[in-house]
Amino acid sequence: MRPLDEAETTAVFEKLFKFTGNNLKNIVENPSHEGPDPNPGRYCFRLHKNRVYYVSESLVKRATNIARANLVSLGMCIGKFTHSGKFHLTIQALNLVAANARHKVWIKPTSEMSFLYGNHVLKGGLGRITDSIAPGDGVVVFSMSDVALGFGVAAKSTQDCRKLDPNGIVVLHQADIGEYLRMEDEL
Amino acid sequence: MGKKKQKVVLPPDLPPEISEDEIEISDEDLEFVKENRDYAGFVSRLDTQSITKHVTRVADVKEGALEAIYEKRLQKKSVVKENEESGVKLDPVDALPVKTLDGKLYYRALPKKVNGEDENKAGEDEKDDGADKGIVKLTKPERRAKLKKIKKEAKKQGKELTETKEAEQAPQAAVLAEVKKDLTAEEAFESKKHKLAELGIALLADPESNIKSLKEMLQIARDDNPSIAKLGFLSLLAVFKDIIPGYRIRLPTEKELEMKVSKDVKKMRFHESTLLSTYKGYLQKLIASEKQFAFHQVVVRCICNLLDSVPHFNCRESLLEVVVRNLASHDDVVRKLCYTTIKSLFTNEGKHGGEATVEAVRLIAYHVKANNCQLHPDFVEVLMSLSFDEDLRRAEVQDRDNKAKHKKNKIKNVKEPSKLQENDRKKSKKELMAKTREEVSADYKSVSLAPDVMEKIKMQSETISAVFETYFRILKHTMISTAASASEAHPLLAPCLNGLGKFSHLVDLDYIGDLMNYLKKLAGGGSSQDNSSQKCSENLTVSERLRCCIVAFKVMRNNLDALNVDLQDFFVQLYNLVLEYRPGRDQGEVLVEALKIMLCDDRQHDMQKAAAFVKRLATFSLSIGSAESMAALVTLKNLLQKNVKCRNLLENDAGGGSVSGSIAIYQPYATDPNLSGALASVLWELNLLSKHYHPAISTMASGISNMNTAQNQIYHTLSPQQAFMEFSLERESFNPKGDIRKSNNKRKRANESSILAGIDSTSDTSNSINEDEVSKKLSKHFTVLHNIKENERLRGELDRVTLSLNLYEEYKKQKKAGRTKIKKNKI
Repeated sequence: MRPLDEAETTAVFEKLFKFTGNNLKNIVENPSHEGPDPNPGRYCFRLHKNRVYYVSESLVKRATNIARANLVSLGMCIGKFTHSGKFHLTIQALNLVAANARHKVWIKPTSEMSFLYGNHVLKGGLGRITDSIAPGDGVVVFSMSDVALGFGVAAKSTQDCRKLDPNGIVVLHQADIGEYLRMEDEL
Repeated sequence: MGKKKQKVVLPPDLPPEISEDEIEISDEDLEFVKENRDYAGFVSRLDTQSITKHVTRVADVKEGALEAIYEKRLQKKSVVKENEESGVKLDPVDALPVKTLDGKLYYRALPKKVNGEDENKAGEDEKDDGADKGIVKLTKPERRAKLKKIKKEAKKQGKELTETKEAEQAPQAAVLAEVKKDLTAEEAFESKKHKLAELGIALLADPESNIKSLKEMLQIARDDNPSIAKLGFLSLLAVFKDIIPGYRIRLPTEKELEMKVSKDVKKMRFHESTLLSTYKGYLQKLIASEKQFAFHQVVVRCICNLLDSVPHFNCRESLLEVVVRNLASHDDVVRKLCYTTIKSLFTNEGKHGGEATVEAVRLIAYHVKANNCQLHPDFVEVLMSLSFDEDLRRAEVQDRDNKAKHKKNKIKNVKEPSKLQENDRKKSKKELMAKTREEVSADYKSVSLAPDVMEKIKMQSETISAVFETYFRILKHTMISTAASASEAHPLLAPCLNGLGKFSHLVDLDYIGDLMNYLKKLAGGGSSQDNSSQKCSENLTVSERLRCCIVAFKVMRNNLDALNVDLQDFFVQLYNLVLEYRPGRDQGEVLVEALKIMLCDDRQHDMQKAAAFVKRLATFSLSIGSAESMAALVTLKNLLQKNVKCRNLLENDAGGGSVSGSIAIYQPYATDPNLSGALASVLWELNLLSKHYHPAISTMASGISNMNTAQNQIYHTLSPQQAFMEFSLERESFNPKGDIRKSNNKRKRANESSILAGIDSTSDTSNSINEDEVSKKLSKHFTVLHNIKENERLRGELDRVTLSLNLYEEYKKQKKAGRTKIKKNKI
């Protein structure tokens, strides 16, 4: 386990910025009340076996006592680095991202299942959408009862979405909570 | 028109030729003249103009009118003769009985009045139609005439006395001249008034034959005397209102003039041309005198009335231009007149077929542009009374479909028989039928007065584009001015936003995005780091920013079929504006409307956001007057009823427990409702509010606190706006009028008992506060404090005393020691 170096930190923050925008500082400077210390520590990012973890400092201190081979996971895994060095956010980052998301999309109950199987979000399944979305922005997908279902990338801006036909793709799928069942082994 | 009779009318008789030398003026004569001014006033009373007119143009006048004119002439002649006789005989002894000065007036005036009344009566008896109107018309100028008469009488008395002194010295000619001047002002006034009335009645009775009287009336209206001119304007207005036909007059072309036409057509043409020419002359005079301050109100009133009653007639553009220009005048009365006129113009589109609306709206847009948006809000508010017919589109589509079908049929018909030769006849027959059908429909359209659907659509679209051009210009101007300068008033912004809200469903989809962007910037929102939007938000008042939010929501709601957009930024703005609101400075109605539209009517279930608003509204209602507080509480209740999860705010579970979401602690100063963590807070404000001095608020607050456990949910049908209106300071009522409906809530809650205990305890402690106990405890507490202080003080004193005693002891010891030492030394 080691802290992230410059390049890796920029990669992680860039990805997160797409989803959270200026709320990124909420993630980075979140006070953590874990552990026996009276003063709240901070959260930090650690790299272990090509996976990036979002851990509180108190937990990190104690995790250093475990040998690298024996350490499986710590804190919250938010993503992993591929062989070519690119960073991908996994579904486990959903809680963190959904709380600080800037662009949200609510989908109708009829198309929830379709999204949970890994399909993209179509215009016909769109219930509500936040304003001022640019294409390529990170978007978090919610159900109509405000349960976070996953996240993706916006294919079109909000304005263009108005004129789209019902079978047009609005959000390109990246991760959804159905993956916990489908890709249990890969997480 | 009339027959060209070869009658030659003799000019009136001239007075007998007496050379001036023979006339000797005696003192008695002078006195006589002084006393009987009326006798000498015949010179002024001779209406030379009309006499010459009668002499030269008598041939053109019709028989009936001719007779009337002869009558008048005869009467005048008789009056003139009387005066002549009395004038020539300057012998006071031979004159008719002389009464006192006051009596004389009546003696002289009576015959004239009698004449005038006779003429009036004659006019009424002869023709029935217009008689009633004639009486009505008479009252207005006549009333004013009477008022003026009384005033002038009083003045005249004074004038005469001064004049007489001067007249004594001058010779007769000079006397006559002065007398003439003096009398012209008064007598001419009277005569003109009477004349106006006569002409008016005659015109109304038979407009076609008496059309020339219009010209005379116009002549009178061109008089220098302002009061006469005003009277002239008003009487002409009344006459025109009734005379003007229901169609636009088109003057005959050269060709048509050359053609031989019947008497009636000629008469009609003459009538129309005279009418039109006098109307134009009248309008010119009106517009010219509008600049003068004395005439301003009267002229504007005339123009407004004309525009209101005959908007379809010629010269409408000049009328419109004046009215629209005066919408921006400083005079309140004038502005109100113009406002009501244009409003009625917009609502009564049937009168003018929509063209006037287009022109008026274009003029308004032009004025807004020219004055750089610094105008009275009435200017733009008048656009709110526009109404657009949306069904026209449907009719147009149907028409198109029908025409297409027709075309298809025709093509089919043409194609099929072309193959067979025998059907040539049939084909031609069918074509003929089709052609005749077309011709018939074209004729029908030209005859029917209903405007074509296509034309209507075109006019509507032009109006809409002009209206929106104005609105967007105002918005843009507000943006630019707030970014540039510090404090510039935006008087047009409020009605502009209201209008946008009303007509938002007519905005094209392409422009909605731009519009929303503008509104966002104006409301001071967006994730912008740049300074321009910050400046915007600082310079607009809270009410204006609230209005921006309201409009944004209205626009979004009206375009729901396109896309349901979540206006997050406006929610953030509202969240912050609720804090910035100050009761005296800002308008409560706007705030309450914003609350209603954005929170009560919304069907979202975003828990974090709703909880944030609930908490903020509760905090807000603590520090604000009862009206806004009531409105906030109503909204709060509404939100709590809709969002079930927010009800854990009512429980004593600080930290939120499992429902708090990702944010564990409530951030009261957070700007974003989503990040406030309000689900982790508790609504302790309700406890304080239940002790509010206003009984309604306290009951409401305690009702909300018990919402979780209440068996019967009480649904108030009150909206926040109604609540605000009822409790605002103007009403000062302590009894709400909303009807309370009870409905049984049969939802079972598993953890009800535990919560019940919790809530009961809190409510018990809050309700069952015994005042005596409190006072006892307080007194105990304070006595203890007092005792402690006393204790300390005494202790301090004790310490001092012991210290001083010790010192004394020491001193004594040392003294002793000193003495023994000295003794020792001595020894």
